[in-house]
Amino acid sequence: MTRPISRRAALAGLGLAAASAGCLGRTENIAGRDPHSQLTLEINTTPADADPNGIRIARQLEEHLTAVGIDVRLNTVGQTDLWRKVLINQNFDIYVGQFVETEPFDSDALYGLTHSQFVAESGWQNPFGLTEIAVDDLLERQRRAAGSDRSDAVDALQETVCDLQPFSVVAFPDALTAVQRDRFEGWTADRQPVSVTGLLGLSRVPGADASGDGRSDGGNATADGDNTTSSATATDADADGEGGVTLRLVTTDNRITENWNPIAAEYRKYGTFTGLLYDTLVRTDGESTVPWLAADWERVDETTVDVSLRDARWHDGEPVTASDVAFTYRFLRDTSLGSVETSVPTPRFRGRSSLVEDERVLDDATVRLTVPDVNETVVARALRVPILPEHVWSERTDAATIAGFEFDFETTEAVVTNNPDPVGSGPLRFVEATAGESVVFERNPDHFLVRSASGDDTETADETTDPRAGIPPRYHGKPAFDRLRVEVSPSDISAVEAVAGGIADATVSNLGPESVPRIGRSDDTRLVSGRSAAFYHVGYNVRRSPLSNPRFRAVVARLIDKSAIVEDTFDGYAQAAASPLAASPDAVPASLAWNDGTDPVHPFFDDEGSLDVEAARAALRDIGYRFDSEGRLLSRGQ
Amino acid sequence: MSPFLSVLSSVVGWVAVMLAVASVAVIGPARLRETWSGLRDRLWDARRAVVLVCVVLLASAVGRPALLNVSRLFGLQATAFIYGLEGGFVAWIQATFASPALTAYFSRVYVYGYAFLVAFPAIAYLALPRTADLRRLLVAYALNYGIGLVLYTLVFAHGPRNVMPDMVTPLLFTNQPDVILLASEVNENSNVFPSLHTSLSVTVGTFAVLTREEYPRWTAVAVLLSLSVVIATMYLGIHWLTDVVAGFALAFGCVALAYRLVEPRDAAAEPGDARDRRRSGSEPAAED
Repeated sequence: MTRPISRRAALAGLGLAAASAGCLGRTENIAGRDPHSQLTLEINTTPADADPNGIRIARQLEEHLTAVGIDVRLNTVGQTDLWRKVLINQNFDIYVGQFVETEPFDSDALYGLTHSQFVAESGWQNPFGLTEIAVDDLLERQRRAAGSDRSDAVDALQETVCDLQPFSVVAFPDALTAVQRDRFEGWTADRQPVSVTGLLGLSRVPGADASGDGRSDGGNATADGDNTTSSATATDADADGEGGVTLRLVTTDNRITENWNPIAAEYRKYGTFTGLLYDTLVRTDGESTVPWLAADWERVDETTVDVSLRDARWHDGEPVTASDVAFTYRFLRDTSLGSVETSVPTPRFRGRSSLVEDERVLDDATVRLTVPDVNETVVARALRVPILPEHVWSERTDAATIAGFEFDFETTEAVVTNNPDPVGSGPLRFVEATAGESVVFERNPDHFLVRSASGDDTETADETTDPRAGIPPRYHGKPAFDRLRVEVSPSDISAVEAVAGGIADATVSNLGPESVPRIGRSDDTRLVSGRSAAFYHVGYNVRRSPLSNPRFRAVVARLIDKSAIVEDTFDGYAQAAASPLAASPDAVPASLAWNDGTDPVHPFFDDEGSLDVEAARAALRDIGYRFDSEGRLLSRGQ
Repeated sequence: MSPFLSVLSSVVGWVAVMLAVASVAVIGPARLRETWSGLRDRLWDARRAVVLVCVVLLASAVGRPALLNVSRLFGLQATAFIYGLEGGFVAWIQATFASPALTAYFSRVYVYGYAFLVAFPAIAYLALPRTADLRRLLVAYALNYGIGLVLYTLVFAHGPRNVMPDMVTPLLFTNQPDVILLASEVNENSNVFPSLHTSLSVTVGTFAVLTREEYPRWTAVAVLLSLSVVIATMYLGIHWLTDVVAGFALAFGCVALAYRLVEPRDAAAEPGDARDRRRSGSEPAAED
């Protein structure tokens, strides 16, 4: 930025000298031109301590961009700062990160990610700044169409997005987790093990040492009593204290110890723990959608959905009502509820919440949502937003202030609050936290998952009054722990060591190639891996030249050696892909299928395993870029 | 016992042993006895320096989380700059020299050796009849910490192991994973510029050279050990060369400043001062 200006200043000095010599015109013509300089791009990602994989992808890209003559600045920032920079301030060139959904997702996820209607908003809605009519049209089409029409639209959408490359999909990681063998079982093996449904699906290992397990309900009536064994649990007073059984997790991500705001984009990774605090109306369970906080929902006509609620209470004892649901949708569309000039939509769940256009409370337990004429799949997606208590969040609709001063009228208290003492209706409720160190949740004894225990079942055999109707039996009576404690660990290695040493039951955050081999060294520890849909990607700021040029982005995409990344960075625990929907069943057209180790659309400039620099430069020359005599890629006006 | 407490007690235990051995070998039993009897006077004499160090350490412990937030939000994002400046130098060190024996050596030096290196001079200079060196040392420590804290706040950067994990192995943490718990307790991974390990070690090394007449044995040990710590910071992938260079600059600056700030007060300190001064360093002092 400063270099051309100073050079121009120098030329201005020369110009003065030249003017006295009487050749002003020509000098002015030269001095008036901005000189070309080397293209500089900044890559942002988190340090290895926070995520061992993203930085390795960034490093490879940095090396390859440097090799073709670009001046690369590789910048590492904390996780909150990365998303603040990318999602909130949109002040970035390139970032490396992960998508936010771990379960295989529907193509409608791309609506929030790439639709141009969100171009002026902050958050996970179109962080790239893509404005393409073709993409918008296909996004609308896949919302309306059904059956094979929809498949066609989804195929075309993926092909268009792949061509335009607002982001380059790198790989779908296997979610690796080190777990204790003898404490909990039922770790999901085909999906992300530490997820809302994954954690709720856990059960106690029968006969596991339950030192201090005061209250053993349901299946493991024999569990308590064995108080003397296991140095692992006996040494740690927190393991199973007075509160009963504790599930102890370790993570390198300290954000959950500071902030419990389900709509704060920069503080959420996948939203697993806020997902346990806040219920959604429906949940995906494997490939089906099951009613959750909603007892049922019905499509009355094309544009109307009636949702009836289960009998539920907020963690503070207030009842969950239809008006809370109506409030939530209104609030997600505009967290200011009209109190500031422009609407301030949420930085998360924007694609989903944009579907609900109006909401009406029919009675205490029924709400009528107005949706556009869209297909069933998309409607179900719209029902997957966290339902928030009106009596808490309606207080947070004013513009955010620091010491009384408003900084930005487009920021409401709701999107910046840490949401201390979160009040949800979910199966877990907040107990305590020490910022940067740990957070403790406890089981919500009032939740519908645990409500009809033992005797009640026989009396309320009637399907309609069963408080758990429609919920898969494996979640009944869950969670299988009384407390959930998340401890912050400085790196993936120490997280694995904590599990191996018996002071934690499972790791949450990503494990890298240094830590995975350690899992096998302890007999009590095993590796659980499931495929995650949270793909690693390289995101481009399409608002900035030359990343605004889809041809330039296509060349950058071809500098990423996805196969090598899968092999070296992930040690094989990942699958390279071209489409963001590669984890979703039957979603990827043959034209985008990854085969024979090469990308079907943007193949790596491969020269026997390393980058073919000449081919990459030739590709850049072909699309109009130029190099100086030292091989530096030139740009103007950066 | 939690892993954190066990590694902490292991460090404290080993350092205590090393301090005891070095006290006998370097200071000598007679002088130690003399120190014991004169302890209160000498501490009183150096009280301001002692209080200064305590205040700085306390401020660092209390203020660090808040300053870290300031650094994250408003600090100079220097990782890209430092990495661009020196590239893969640290990776080269590891690729060229790394061996299991050296890794074991440098890991121990970085944790145990460093703690010993910083702690011992305080005892050694306390054992000198005049407190000038003790006061200079403490003032230099306080300056190191204070200026280091300011620079940590101004400059936000991650170390090589966090930026080039494909080329730089976090050797300390892969070999002594427990230590990471201790390290993370006293240090943030974004506080790498300057290297305080380097600056404090070099400070101690410089003082050791300046007081070589009093403790010639210590000079040899301290120089060797402090250079080992300096190399260890890079060998283990924790610091950049840039951090180390800045650490040297900080150390020399702090020592020079400590000499300017602290007056020797030859006559004032102790009545027997002038007499003691004439004796050679390791010779036992007779009276109490």
